[in-house]
Amino acid sequence: MANKFCRHLRVGLAGGLIIVLALVTGKPAFAEKVKRGATFTVASDTEYRSINPAIVASNGVFFIASKIVEPLAEMDYETGLRPVLATKWQGSKDGLSITFTLRKGVTWHDGKPFTSADVAFSAMKVWKPLQNLGRTIFANLESVDTPDKSTAVFRFSKPTPLQLIENALPAVSAVLPKHRYEGTDIKNNPLNAAPIGTGPFTFGEHKPGEFYRLDRNPNYWDKGKPYLDRIVYRVMPDAGAKAAALETGDIQLTAFSAVPLIEMARLDAIKGISVIRGGYEGITYHIVLEINHRRKELANPLVRQALRHAIDSKFIVDVVFLGFANASTGPVPSTATDFYTKDVPMYAFDTNRAEELLDKAGYPRDADGKRFSLKLRPAPWFQMTRDTGDYVRQALQKVGIDVKLVTADPGGHIRAVYKEHDFDLSIGSPVWRNDPAISTTILFQGGLPAGVPFANQYGYDDQEMNSLIARAARELNRNARIKLYHDFQRKVTEDLPILNLVDFTFITVARDEVRNVSNNPRWATSSWADTWIDQ
Amino acid sequence: MTRLTLITGLIGTVILAALILIALFAQQIAPGDPLQMVGRPLLSPFADPRFPLGTTQLGRDVWAGLVHGARVSLTVSATAAAAVILIGILVGTLSGFLGGYVDDVLMRITEAVQSIPAFLLALALVSVLGASVTSVVVAIALSSWPPSARLVRAEVLRVRTLDYVDAARVAGRSPLAIAFLEVLPGALQPVVALIGITVGEAILVESALAFLGLSDPNLQSWGLMVASGRATLRVAPLLVILPGLAIALASLSVSLAGDALAARLSEGRRA
Repeated sequence: MANKFCRHLRVGLAGGLIIVLALVTGKPAFAEKVKRGATFTVASDTEYRSINPAIVASNGVFFIASKIVEPLAEMDYETGLRPVLATKWQGSKDGLSITFTLRKGVTWHDGKPFTSADVAFSAMKVWKPLQNLGRTIFANLESVDTPDKSTAVFRFSKPTPLQLIENALPAVSAVLPKHRYEGTDIKNNPLNAAPIGTGPFTFGEHKPGEFYRLDRNPNYWDKGKPYLDRIVYRVMPDAGAKAAALETGDIQLTAFSAVPLIEMARLDAIKGISVIRGGYEGITYHIVLEINHRRKELANPLVRQALRHAIDSKFIVDVVFLGFANASTGPVPSTATDFYTKDVPMYAFDTNRAEELLDKAGYPRDADGKRFSLKLRPAPWFQMTRDTGDYVRQALQKVGIDVKLVTADPGGHIRAVYKEHDFDLSIGSPVWRNDPAISTTILFQGGLPAGVPFANQYGYDDQEMNSLIARAARELNRNARIKLYHDFQRKVTEDLPILNLVDFTFITVARDEVRNVSNNPRWATSSWADTWIDQ
Repeated sequence: MTRLTLITGLIGTVILAALILIALFAQQIAPGDPLQMVGRPLLSPFADPRFPLGTTQLGRDVWAGLVHGARVSLTVSATAAAAVILIGILVGTLSGFLGGYVDDVLMRITEAVQSIPAFLLALALVSVLGASVTSVVVAIALSSWPPSARLVRAEVLRVRTLDYVDAARVAGRSPLAIAFLEVLPGALQPVVALIGITVGEAILVESALAFLGLSDPNLQSWGLMVASGRATLRVAPLLVILPGLAIALASLSVSLAGDALAARLSEGRRA
């Protein structure tokens, strides 16, 4: 119900936006005649050794590879999930199988037909054993049957919620051509650097240090698409250079907040360039304060509540993120409309309350005004995680907790926090991946071995929490499952094992001639089959 | 000593003295922790009397950062330079005076260290030791001592053949006493000249390490200010220019003062 309302709201907002756009630009923003045949030039940060999205399910790889290799289904604003290589899917009542009906008339870039054998091969030989996300999601996948060329039946050893698989499909189900991978060393197949897929674009060329080029696939199954002739990814690691290239028109788009946040307002004011915040709802990041419960002060729930009261999420949003973020209420971001609930305990920014709680916990200020000292490790990979660390240090010092910052390189940070547990507090940046079971429960699940990165290495192990997570993992009923995850969010915000501070999504900056930008929740990592340029 | 050297030397000394005073009285000039986010972010200079040079992207007082940064930069570079000179004197004197195997071994080590670019070595050391003031000092010292060691050795080789050293030997003084009490003082003058260069280099290395995020994150330093100002280069260039100027001014003043001192000393030697 709530979901439906949100959808109406979204459609309404979109409609309003179209009208406003039409008024502002003086021309209708819809039903424009598509212009074909352009070259779309975008900036790319890094070059990857492998751009095989079936093995490395990461946003950086998808940014390029999702145009070449397609998943079974893609996220969509209107319907939630849009069919791509699968046209239909149906889960069995017992949760032990899911039947996918595959699209007919699809061919690989080398001309061979796409069949259920490709899906079975990808699932059993690539996603389950080799893929970073697939290892967990398909852990219980036993076999994939192929009764005919356009049907694939996934069989699980334990009941698996259809909703979980559906939410995972866009990121984990890139299908590889069996005839090019079977019998080879899949991880080292040369195609990983120059993939063959079924997507709207074929791999053209990679010139290291300069560019990737993708060319239009004239035989794409969605007749008439894609509209672009080619996509060029210019390799430009420097953020300032990207901003300048946008201004001169050398590139037409940057994704993943590649331009410094502070430049956004300046760029937005330039005629012909727009800053677009949508199109990343499916890949929201959290900024969290990770807490080591092995420190006796921090094992005390009153102290953790005090920390929450002492830190002003709004300050982080305004100063560190310049407004491009939202204050978090819990472990699920508000952009995840299916699962999010705001019916959870809230902790207002209130330093007096924080001090009361610390006094009550038995840690009064000493003669120097200090209660105790903590070691804070901000994750070094984003400017924002480092800046948040600086702010948290200052905020906690205000309530009498002495904080010493300790920095390390990314490898050293991961080792110190997730393996050696050599931290008291840490600023982390976990990603939301559309379903709590994919990305989020692992941050709260007890009993994980030391060394599993970006997971609960906090020394938090709560019986009730563990059983809640286990129950939700095997719940097949969609609504009951959502309800369990609402309970999960309440439990997290009551216990505060870690503190969710703010959520942020990335930002796209595009020149106005680029059309159909950010029109799905994973736009930067989707196929761009309907993107075109008004030239 | 030429007129120009005299003037530049004077300028250098005055600036250096001013910086030292600022560093000593940083807490009086700009009280409090310069890392505190105290004002509205990105205030331009002179907009608010409380923040004469404006604020950074996180709302930190730029003036306080510069003042306290002087303390970090000067302390680190002076300590590191002292350590560099000490190691240099020790290795150079032993090597030059004792000769033979000791000389061979010490000089091969010196050359080995010198063959690694000093900054890369410092970078590696700090990443292993962890980012703190002590490890930055250790890293600079361990990576930049070879030139001073070689200089001292060359001077010792020259001085040890002089008559007064032979006299000391005849008088029966112990070799170590001769090395450090007789030979070393005679060989020290060029080393004093080296101090200026060493301190100047240490300031630059410290700033570069801080720029790369490898300095103590609990202290505001000039390099750190340049690094965090880089994101706002197009919008608020002063956030990079001001600490950059401070770094340039500090290393320049040390270098000018050092040059003048060296010129003065060599005049004394000729006289």
